[in-house]
Amino acid sequence: MANKQYGMVIDPRSCLDCKACVVACKAENHVPLGASRNWVRHSLVGTFPKLQAVIEPGQCNHCSEAPCVEVCPTGASHFAAGGTVQITREECIGCQLCMEACPYGARYYDEQSEKVDKCSFCWHRVERGLEPACVVTCPTKVRVFGDLNDPTSRVARKLAEHPSVVLKPEEQTRPNIHYITD
Amino acid sequence: MSTTARGPIGIGPHTARRREGLTLDRRGFLGVFGAGILGTTLYGCAGRPRLLEVAESAVPESTPASRKVASICGNCVNKCGFIARVEGDRVVKLDPNPHFPKSRSMLCAKGNAGVQVVHDPDRLKHPLIRTGPRGSGQWRKASWDEALELTARRMMEIKEKYGPHGMLFSSTEGFQERFFRTFAAAWGSPNVVRHPSLCLASGNVAFFATFGTVPEYDLEHCEYVIVSGANRAEAFVTPDTIDMMTRARQGKTRLVYLDPRFSVTASRAGTWLPIRPGTDMAFYLAMLHVLIADKLYDEAFVRTYTHGFDELVAHVEPFTPEWAEGETEIPAREIRRITREFAAAAPRAVVYRGRRSSWYGNDTYMRQAMALVNVLVGNWDRQGGLVPKESIALGKPELPELPWPDEERIDGIEERHPLARTEDGAYVDLRQRVLDARPYPVKGWMIYKQNPLHALPDRARTRAMLEQMDFVAVIDIVPSDTAWMADVILPESTYLERDDPVEGFHQPYPFLAWRRQVIRPHFETRPCLEIMQGLAAKLGLESYFDYDIDRYIDLQLAKPGIGREVFDATGVWSDRNSRKYGTTLVEDYRFRTPSGKIEVANERFRRRGYAPLPVYQSPPQPPRGKFRLLPGKQAYFTHAANQNNLWLHELCPENSLWINAAVARERGIAEGDELLVRSPVGQVRVRAHVTEGIRKDCVHLPHGFGQRSAGLHQAVGKGASDQDLIAAASDVITGNAALHETFVTIEKV
Repeated sequence: MANKQYGMVIDPRSCLDCKACVVACKAENHVPLGASRNWVRHSLVGTFPKLQAVIEPGQCNHCSEAPCVEVCPTGASHFAAGGTVQITREECIGCQLCMEACPYGARYYDEQSEKVDKCSFCWHRVERGLEPACVVTCPTKVRVFGDLNDPTSRVARKLAEHPSVVLKPEEQTRPNIHYITD
Repeated sequence: MSTTARGPIGIGPHTARRREGLTLDRRGFLGVFGAGILGTTLYGCAGRPRLLEVAESAVPESTPASRKVASICGNCVNKCGFIARVEGDRVVKLDPNPHFPKSRSMLCAKGNAGVQVVHDPDRLKHPLIRTGPRGSGQWRKASWDEALELTARRMMEIKEKYGPHGMLFSSTEGFQERFFRTFAAAWGSPNVVRHPSLCLASGNVAFFATFGTVPEYDLEHCEYVIVSGANRAEAFVTPDTIDMMTRARQGKTRLVYLDPRFSVTASRAGTWLPIRPGTDMAFYLAMLHVLIADKLYDEAFVRTYTHGFDELVAHVEPFTPEWAEGETEIPAREIRRITREFAAAAPRAVVYRGRRSSWYGNDTYMRQAMALVNVLVGNWDRQGGLVPKESIALGKPELPELPWPDEERIDGIEERHPLARTEDGAYVDLRQRVLDARPYPVKGWMIYKQNPLHALPDRARTRAMLEQMDFVAVIDIVPSDTAWMADVILPESTYLERDDPVEGFHQPYPFLAWRRQVIRPHFETRPCLEIMQGLAAKLGLESYFDYDIDRYIDLQLAKPGIGREVFDATGVWSDRNSRKYGTTLVEDYRFRTPSGKIEVANERFRRRGYAPLPVYQSPPQPPRGKFRLLPGKQAYFTHAANQNNLWLHELCPENSLWINAAVARERGIAEGDELLVRSPVGQVRVRAHVTEGIRKDCVHLPHGFGQRSAGLHQAVGKGASDQDLIAAASDVITGNAALHETFVTIEKV
């Protein structure tokens, strides 16, 4: 497992905003009603009839310089196997500092458990060699998931073949989700 | 069996606390449609009693933990394959079945939300008998025997008073719909009506009349697709959608999309043409004109396989692109460019018909014009074109002879719409005839898997139709608005709880698949077959149901000579792995048309007194201050069926009226303002969605909202129903509802 860096390449222009990923995540991760670990942003740019739709799926970026990890007073938010960012639920005290620190709004507070939660890249699946639920269910296969450090992986090849950006680079968080721009 | 947030037992205090306490402010950047998605309008129903609380003992005893079952989705007509993960008697996750040839590795939001269909706290849990006034929501729990006994008795009373034709049977597609239809036929009423005349009847008739069959589209290999208003990306995520959209994204297909609205499909198309509503036929007539004038059509194909081409030459002569520009507001040079590109890409080029073709009174002709563009470029039965359906034949039980109905159909479809499928009926006509009791009264209504209060235009009339019935029985899985108006509700087991008949699929090649039971039925629900059997037994009609589901499946599989174990590995079976092309392009092949050829000038039309070629009428324009109302769907929902699903409801708790930003500015309307929308038949209050993405002459209201059943705790009272506004109108040839003909006024409240 050493040196693995799991990440995603997302092709937003393949996304139809069908939200299959949102519901799949909800089911897979028992996300409470009213909360969501992933989302699709959708807006229009331009004036009629010169219009463009900007559709952008998102979730925790599993940043390599993760502000959430930095601010967590207990170490509950931490860098875990495969370069992912995970939360040890038992150690989370629900202080929500991580939610304020996250530039992507990727975390939510669950009052039931009094803890913060977010996308884990479906770690319980990845551990067993499966892809995250959002990746599997997607009708147009918007997301490619895998080890960015393995140049032969689909995700690394996809990243190499296309120009891409990360969200809010000015935050210098080194996200591990890349968005194709061509 | 523990009760959790998604438990079948009902929402406990545990869950309520969780819901109220959520922090909902975290995602301010969700985007234009995000604002209403999370957290708003979810609750407001706490303390209201759940319809039909039951004891925990109603849940069947646990079955082995942690299983996987390959089965078939039932949340829309498409029927995608999934693999269910089951723990005990709970479905915990539905994943796409990658072996399923049609849906391959996709499962949409609705498919994923199937978990909530079976564990929906609002679902119908046992038979109900109305105790208060109709629609009051006063019910009592009944045993199956009592509910069936009452239903049989009331049906017999209607029969004695009015004859068998005094009962109306209506249903919507589904793998067990056949049993409902067998029951209706055995009862002996001619009055059976289905959904096609609210959906695709005109498109089916136009393509059938042209080709002698209703073809599929080989989009997987297509390189140029023209689509009118079939908003696949936003409204209906299916394999066709995926083929179209992924190939367009990969640059393998060029997509031309006509729609007054900038939908997701429009945003994903290479060319979006914001056409003037109601003028699509003019666009296709001009394409036909250019194909002929510039000799771009496939001359050898037309000569060999078609009938009546010369008539078309004369017919489309006046329909120049310049003329069409005046109608459609699409520049003539664009029509020429697209036609040239289309012809160059042929035969891997199609005009895609779309599914719901209930737009205008001339819809059959509009779809015929689309069919003819396909005909002229010779894409028929070729890779990347239109392909005839192939299928694998299945066996079925031999039934005793069915009684002849004792009367003519009340909708008079045979005389009024002789080209339409009689057995599907003409719903808009039928409702009016029932209201008029012309030529006879219809006083009993049995409804399966259908929600007429949302399906038909002009809801007030549908309500009046329900109210004039002596007896209404509804078979459904949730207390829909229509079920709420019933006298007896018979709860069906959901698609996850039943073994269904084996089903034949056509796309991308013929295969069989079997919807097998994922979990045993929760509560006191029954599959449709068993409900029909129970009722048949009380009415002396049991000889029509001399089989159970296992026997039925055995009879089906006897024909291809296979056993059900063929479905064990992947859930599907076929004797081939690709589509055949060109089976109809052989010498002496006779198309199932009067001429035996593909009909350009249509002889079926001519025989029935209709013009044989598409007749164009310029649509009336909305008078000053009015807007054309365009209804449409969102892919999160199937019609009005699952706005109450906990997970889907969250995606879009209520609809809003799309209105052009410039128009809204003039009228001082801002995003989210409450509007009063009036039409000749009704009025609704609904919030404004102010957008650049729609023309100024029309407004758009997503379908399926404005539900009134208090049994639907999430959906009740949210948004507005298009059917409160849309006036009844229908396609002349088929009687298919014409849903785009209503003008509305809008004022800020």
